[in-house]
Amino acid sequence: MLIQEQMDLQEKLAILSDAAKYDVSCTSSGVDRKGKKGMLGNAVSAGLCHSFAADGRCISLLKILFTNQCIYDCRYCVNRRSNDVVRTAFTPDEVCTLTMEFYRRNYIEGLFLSSGILHSPDYTMDLIYQTLRKLRGECRFNGYIHVKAIPGADPVLIEKVGFLADRMSVNLELPTAEGLKSLAPSKSRTRILGPMRQIQNGIRTRKLEMIPYERGQRFVPAGQSTQMIVGATPENDYQMIKVAEALYRNYDLRRVFYSAFVRVNDDSRLPVLPGGPPLLREHRLYQADWLLRFYGFAADELLTERQPHFNVLLDPKCDWALRHLELFPVEINRADYQTILRVPGIGVKSAKRIVAARRAAALDFPDLKKLGVALKRAVYFITCRGRMMYPVKVDQDFITSQLVGEERRKVWDIGTSGSYRQMSMFDDGWLSPPPTVQDVETAVLGQM
Amino acid sequence: MTVFVCHDSFEGILCGVYDAWMSRLGHANVALELENRGNLKMFCDYREAEETPEKTEKVAESIRRTAGEPAYEMVFRASLSREEEKADRIYRFLVYALNLKQDITAMLQIPAVYEVFRMDRNVGNEAHLLIEFARFSRTGDGVLVCSVGPKNDVILLMAPHFADRLPEENWIIYDEGRKKAIVHRAGSGWAVVWTGSDQWRERLEAGTDQKEFEQLWKTFHNRIAIAERTNYVCQRGHLPLRFRPYMTEFT
Repeated sequence: MLIQEQMDLQEKLAILSDAAKYDVSCTSSGVDRKGKKGMLGNAVSAGLCHSFAADGRCISLLKILFTNQCIYDCRYCVNRRSNDVVRTAFTPDEVCTLTMEFYRRNYIEGLFLSSGILHSPDYTMDLIYQTLRKLRGECRFNGYIHVKAIPGADPVLIEKVGFLADRMSVNLELPTAEGLKSLAPSKSRTRILGPMRQIQNGIRTRKLEMIPYERGQRFVPAGQSTQMIVGATPENDYQMIKVAEALYRNYDLRRVFYSAFVRVNDDSRLPVLPGGPPLLREHRLYQADWLLRFYGFAADELLTERQPHFNVLLDPKCDWALRHLELFPVEINRADYQTILRVPGIGVKSAKRIVAARRAAALDFPDLKKLGVALKRAVYFITCRGRMMYPVKVDQDFITSQLVGEERRKVWDIGTSGSYRQMSMFDDGWLSPPPTVQDVETAVLGQM
Repeated sequence: MTVFVCHDSFEGILCGVYDAWMSRLGHANVALELENRGNLKMFCDYREAEETPEKTEKVAESIRRTAGEPAYEMVFRASLSREEEKADRIYRFLVYALNLKQDITAMLQIPAVYEVFRMDRNVGNEAHLLIEFARFSRTGDGVLVCSVGPKNDVILLMAPHFADRLPEENWIIYDEGRKKAIVHRAGSGWAVVWTGSDQWRERLEAGTDQKEFEQLWKTFHNRIAIAERTNYVCQRGHLPLRFRPYMTEFT
């Protein structure tokens, strides 16, 4: 392990943000908090994205590790013990300065603090606690803070941190116990779920209290989240969304994040993915995740044991609708909100607008377009005043072919994310040799 | 057709609405236009709408009372739009709102409502993006300054957010296109200032402490991207190029 002394802030930030970038659970959402006199910052419940990195992901929080030294040896992780990388650590003061100055300049929405395990889980958690206490107390920081609860840390420490942070998260990383055993031998499922349950209970009990015993101190007000790595172990999509659904139901999680596996370590147990990270699979999982949280779908409606993978060509909602054509077409002017929400091409916003607008007068197809409905998908599944937009054969094969035509292009865009391709002299037509004398002769004489 | 020419501001448009309405010429025979907008139309009688606080107050009050607070807010945000026909669109919207005497903001099947809704959405979205993408830098005397170049006149909508967020700072948000600024003093309120000349801009650009934190932020911005997932098309979709000249990490 290389520990370099006397590194300047610039180098430390480069190393410790680079080490944190694979963690995706970094939204700034879930809590509304007004600014306070004498303090810096507030929080907006929708979350704000202050910038976008070259990979198109949003930069909302200052996402850093406290240290990249770690006692564990998880196979998928850049910072594992056996990797020969430069190790360093921030001091609490440095984290506070960076957060305050970046926040003041509106670069960030708050702090996301994670850490490698230095010496022991308790020691690391205490370092994080000291940092947050300084930030909230001395620096009077009132913005968003997201911290990792370190599995195996003392529950008392986790509780103390919970009163300073807005959101806490424990990463599940791999959806099944077997996967965890093979790639992260020093972590176990029970150790991960332990703090998750503790945070959940903490939030619940404080909600039930009639009078909060300390005013203004709320325990993890923005709830907790977790992340799962997609494509590192052979779990299928069905298992992943079943786990996500269970987490939403049993652990009151606000978000489950999915992170397409990037092979950073050359390890024999890790899969080789020749096509790059499984971005399309990650995209489908996020689509399904939204269906679980906002559209009232259950995991078993989207996938089954027999059909455990998402359709590559169709989004999960279209896929579901095509398997349930007996429920369609839906009459826009009569159907209830939940039914309208299940139509492909209609989202939460447009469904709400439809329900509000039809109180005044019946809606027709041009109106729907104005309300923000994606008619090119919805048109096969809806009627307005008893009529479809044009005669459509309500037939699974026909509608599928119509929808796929549009969807295939998008899949292509996602799969081949760059807009460039290898130049080829033959295809691009630069290398057609000029006709020779013989060519001209044969052409003139008709001897082709 | 009688055209009422009004000043390009919320108050100006409301006074135009008052004059057009009270002229008793009939809604079909009047139109509203903003002043200094190119060509005049043929066979039109042009009248200058006179701007007084009493008229503004009367119209504002009747919108709030009969059409409700959401409609009032919608009209206000739409009046910040950059679209030239906004005055007339707001008039058509108010004809419906004040005659139906109910909250019509959800009745998007009415074209007049939809147009105002669309302008409102456009202004609101831009204000939201600029709240995210605004970048401050600190001048020698400790003032945080930020330049923006929005299409719509949105700095008014940004001000409450930053006043709540940075209550103990002196800050200025400067709209380059409209030569207009929001000035906030630590521990007190904010105000709009019209700044006729380019002097402001020069003063704001001079002597900021940018370098140190600018460099740190650029380092962070570069390092946080995952090389294997590079996707500039996606980045442009979320963060259009027109915002980037004002942002620290792209300059």
